[in-house]
Amino acid sequence: MRVVLLLLTAMLGSRVCFAEQPAPPRPASFAREIVSILTKQGCNSSSCHGGVKGRGGLKLSLDGLDPREDYKWIVQGGTYQVLSPEALPPITPRVSLQEPENSLLLRKPAMQVVHGGGEIFTPESPDYAAILEWVRGGAAYGEDVQKTLQGIEPSSREIVLGPGHTHSLRVVARFAGGRREDVTREVRYESLDSTVATVEPSGVLKALQKGETAVILRWLGQFAHVRIGVTDQEPASDAELPRNNFIDDHVFARLRRFRIRPSELSSDHEFVRRVCLDLAGTLPPPDRVREFLASKDPKKREKVVEALLNSPEYVEFWSLRFADLFRVRGEYGWILPFWEWVRRNVATDKPYHQVAREAIAVQGYGGASHKYQFGINKPPPIEQMVNETIRVFMGRRLDCAQCHNHPFDRWTQNQYWGLGAFFGRMTNTGWAFDNAVFDDPNGHEVDYVENDPTLRFRPVAHPRTKQPLAAMFMDGTALPEDRRDDPRLALANWVVSHPYFAEAAVNRIWGYFFGRGIVDPVDDFRVVNPPTHPELLAALARDFEQHGYSLKQLMRRIVNSRAYQLSSQTHELNRHDRTNYSHALPRPLEAAVLLDAISQVTGVPEVFDKNPAGKRAIQLRFPAGASFLSVFGRPARDAVPDPGGQLNLRQAMHMLAGTTFNAKLSNEAGRLHRLLQSGASDRQLVEEFYLAALSRFPTEREWAGLQKIFAERPRREAAEDLVWALITAREFAENH
Amino acid sequence: MSRNDANRAAAAWSRRDILRVGSLSFFGLDLSRYLRLQHLMADTGSAPRGKAQAAILLWLNGGPSHVDTWDPKRNSSFKPIATNVPGIRISELLPRVARHMDKLSLIRSMHTLENNHGIAHHYAMTGHRPNPAMKFPSLGSIISKELGARLSVPPYVMVPDGNWFGEHFRAHMLGASYDPMEIPDPSAKNFKIPDLRLPDSISVERLQQRRAMAGLVDALYREQMHSAEHASLDVFQQQALEMILSPAVREAFDLSKETEQLKDAYGRNTVGQSALIARRLVEAGSRFVTVVDRNRPESGDWDSHANNDKRHRDVLVPVLDQVLSTLLADLEQRGLLSSTIVIAMGEFGRTPDINPNGGRDHWPQCWSLALGGGGIRGGTIVGESDERGAYVKDRMVTIGDLFATLYKALGIDWHREYMHPIGRPLKIANSLDDKTGQPIQELV
Repeated sequence: MRVVLLLLTAMLGSRVCFAEQPAPPRPASFAREIVSILTKQGCNSSSCHGGVKGRGGLKLSLDGLDPREDYKWIVQGGTYQVLSPEALPPITPRVSLQEPENSLLLRKPAMQVVHGGGEIFTPESPDYAAILEWVRGGAAYGEDVQKTLQGIEPSSREIVLGPGHTHSLRVVARFAGGRREDVTREVRYESLDSTVATVEPSGVLKALQKGETAVILRWLGQFAHVRIGVTDQEPASDAELPRNNFIDDHVFARLRRFRIRPSELSSDHEFVRRVCLDLAGTLPPPDRVREFLASKDPKKREKVVEALLNSPEYVEFWSLRFADLFRVRGEYGWILPFWEWVRRNVATDKPYHQVAREAIAVQGYGGASHKYQFGINKPPPIEQMVNETIRVFMGRRLDCAQCHNHPFDRWTQNQYWGLGAFFGRMTNTGWAFDNAVFDDPNGHEVDYVENDPTLRFRPVAHPRTKQPLAAMFMDGTALPEDRRDDPRLALANWVVSHPYFAEAAVNRIWGYFFGRGIVDPVDDFRVVNPPTHPELLAALARDFEQHGYSLKQLMRRIVNSRAYQLSSQTHELNRHDRTNYSHALPRPLEAAVLLDAISQVTGVPEVFDKNPAGKRAIQLRFPAGASFLSVFGRPARDAVPDPGGQLNLRQAMHMLAGTTFNAKLSNEAGRLHRLLQSGASDRQLVEEFYLAALSRFPTEREWAGLQKIFAERPRREAAEDLVWALITAREFAENH
Repeated sequence: MSRNDANRAAAAWSRRDILRVGSLSFFGLDLSRYLRLQHLMADTGSAPRGKAQAAILLWLNGGPSHVDTWDPKRNSSFKPIATNVPGIRISELLPRVARHMDKLSLIRSMHTLENNHGIAHHYAMTGHRPNPAMKFPSLGSIISKELGARLSVPPYVMVPDGNWFGEHFRAHMLGASYDPMEIPDPSAKNFKIPDLRLPDSISVERLQQRRAMAGLVDALYREQMHSAEHASLDVFQQQALEMILSPAVREAFDLSKETEQLKDAYGRNTVGQSALIARRLVEAGSRFVTVVDRNRPESGDWDSHANNDKRHRDVLVPVLDQVLSTLLADLEQRGLLSSTIVIAMGEFGRTPDINPNGGRDHWPQCWSLALGGGGIRGGTIVGESDERGAYVKDRMVTIGDLFATLYKALGIDWHREYMHPIGRPLKIANSLDDKTGQPIQELV
């Protein structure tokens, strides 16, 4: 026996050569050796047996997350069915203890029988030998290594290479009790962009062409990633860039390591337009721009930031964004309490963990209670509540795990429905406009639904096993007995105290200001979608927690950083960078902000149905009805908003022929008419509109071109066309 | 990650379309020249391989009763009548369509999975059950994408707008360019396509001056910023400009070019005039036009939970009979029937039994639809229901099979799968149990 084991260890090889400490000889375990092979060879990847339905009747857990289950399918056999816990016959083991060489687990991957996945290894390979020895040894489950495994660590988290260069990664596994082992050769490596860099099974990286990628490492259900930059630039000179706060430390250090030279600091006109749109959703009026440009105050940027953070427009704009996020829907008066709750959260800068708690755990008549019952007399499906809660407040999309274990992430169907059970006691009064949501500990049901079977109390059962489920947090701990009378509050407290909460919050806010999240999309944290700047994300989250979860303080930090204030003008060496914040990325204005901007430049307010004159689009509780807003893609608020701004043909038609872009120009109450009447010169008129729309003066080249047009054409016509050109320009429709 | 993909897709898309759009001029194209151009394109092989070039879907929102229309049974109050195809009998409520039976085939063994309007719409228009993690592109979006636009006519149109279940007719992951352009009710007095006509004060020359001015104003920014979105906006603007300036496109939406006789023949109502505009659009270059029959002033849609017989007899079927027969005749007369598929269907059928309110309720187990044109064989019955039209007796047909049939007729490979941004492959013809739908041999 002992000889066999030593042989096996030698064949597996890796630990002998690279071990931090020599691995003690021990029996091969399913959970370690076999799962390693299944992972390394991609057998349990999402595109193979680890997929939702498995392949050819064999289902393995994704990346070996559930070795006990995998062991059962291999050693007992049977055909997997997605929607039922029962295995379909024939229940034939995939290992043969009598004739180990005849095990399907060997014959399939060696292509001795037909295998849809082709030949994975030959009978001469170490993997074949390892599996054979394991079967000969009795195919035992063996040591439960995953119980003590705490994580895997790559030798570097960030590697910069020249094209054509290579680098050998090493990976160490960390176990309880401080034991560390080199597992470089057992880990599975995957480059997210193999046109930039590839990685061999031995951990050797090869840089191919300029760009960036990440390499994902997987081992026994543990994950890590290494960020790879491929550049042909020389290391930058050591001249320190000025830094305003810790954000710059992280961003500029990365830029230096990746040898990307950032753009210059934004000019004053660039900055003032950007920050007004970002913090207040509003263009700075021409006088304010002039004032700002003229000011010699060295602190003028910070001062503008403070003024904006304390402006009524800040409250309006962020109320709009959070009303989109929390889906405040409905035109009726009874949506008012919900909208008012959102508005007050912003106006008072309510700590965001408190906002989240109130949103998740609301009981009674006020505020977020209404989010659960738009236009219906019952709470929405449990799935919707789970999906939204986790997506909005933890940045994860669990939706897939509703029907089966998540195909690309670690979330299982059990975890999903364990969360669902927190929402299983929700009921409501059902009294029309006074509708209130509450958890009923005794399972009483309100009278009016007595006869409607769909509105009965909803104990949560696992969809596959049909077993009733107790409320269980995502980490697998069950809700304690004594707290089951208020399950959603327990969930809310758990959510806001989890590290995911602050990271998801800062990442979402960051995304608004930089056009992409540190994890992007902002609410799609996944193993294979790692953060571009993990340390920065952690530092922002820590800062957010230390400042009482103040969104205003977070925004203040962000806009005061030099990274935020870099110009959007690129140079040859950073033009292609879209992930490292070496320059500002242009972002399309949201529909409501764009409409307000057009109204502001033309000086002709939009009139909204059922609203008093003078109401701006960002002030609407529920921006419905206005055709401009629907054409330009306001969020419908029937789902968590996705990044919008997608251009389409209707927008282009509206720009050419629509009222917003035509009637506002000729309106006699507008800015144009006023200027024409005032006796302003052509230059004054042009400058005024440039300042109003773009927060800058025309360049000499532009002025020369415009001057010529103004000289040739009737003045009013030329001026109208100038305004049209300004409000249809990309420079206008984007924040940059 | 997904946004980058979208950008790349947009860029690829733009490049293709710039070439296409760039080869046209905007001025002086009348409809007849447009049509010649279109045929020229078909001849040079840039057009798809199937016989069919386009499809018109008559969407019978709410679900018609199959036993009272295409699959007459003894549990219907209506008698079967003979058609111009020996052996095929349909309900007496469809006397005009009966005279065009040689152009249409009937599937009497449709079997679908969903029993409520919203999700049944979803299932019938995408071939997939709704999924919390993703949204699926619709049939019309897929066809528009696979075939591409012809000339500058919007490839996918839905008429009239304001469809309750409009979301299920959209493109989602395929991008906004494959969403249907929704146009208002063409039978309305003030019918007008929004933003298709320049304001009176703006001449074409003036618009060109504006665009020149815009070039001047935005040049600096465009030089500095490199963005795939700018390129795609340029493509959309070019398309919009062509639509607004080209008489052919404006004419495609202009019902005043039709004779009063033909308008009468289609019927002076929403469905009739929508079908007429659908024909004009297909003639001008659209790929897929959905005519939504949902909002009859007398009865709402086809969802006849009460007074099934009266509603089918007096209101619902007569309009269908008139519109469908006129559409088939009109397409044939213009030589378009061989290249245009016509489908009439709802999201499910209705129960074989009459309920206490004299209505019939939702029934996806077994139902019927009619299709023809575009090279799809007419005068054929596919499948058979049991004695009461309750269950499939022979030759079950799924939505995936229907889609595969349409794709084959249009020259689209029905085995295709798209990769959804979340990483899940999507069959474009998805049948039961994740199988790929198969074209109906008897028809294509």
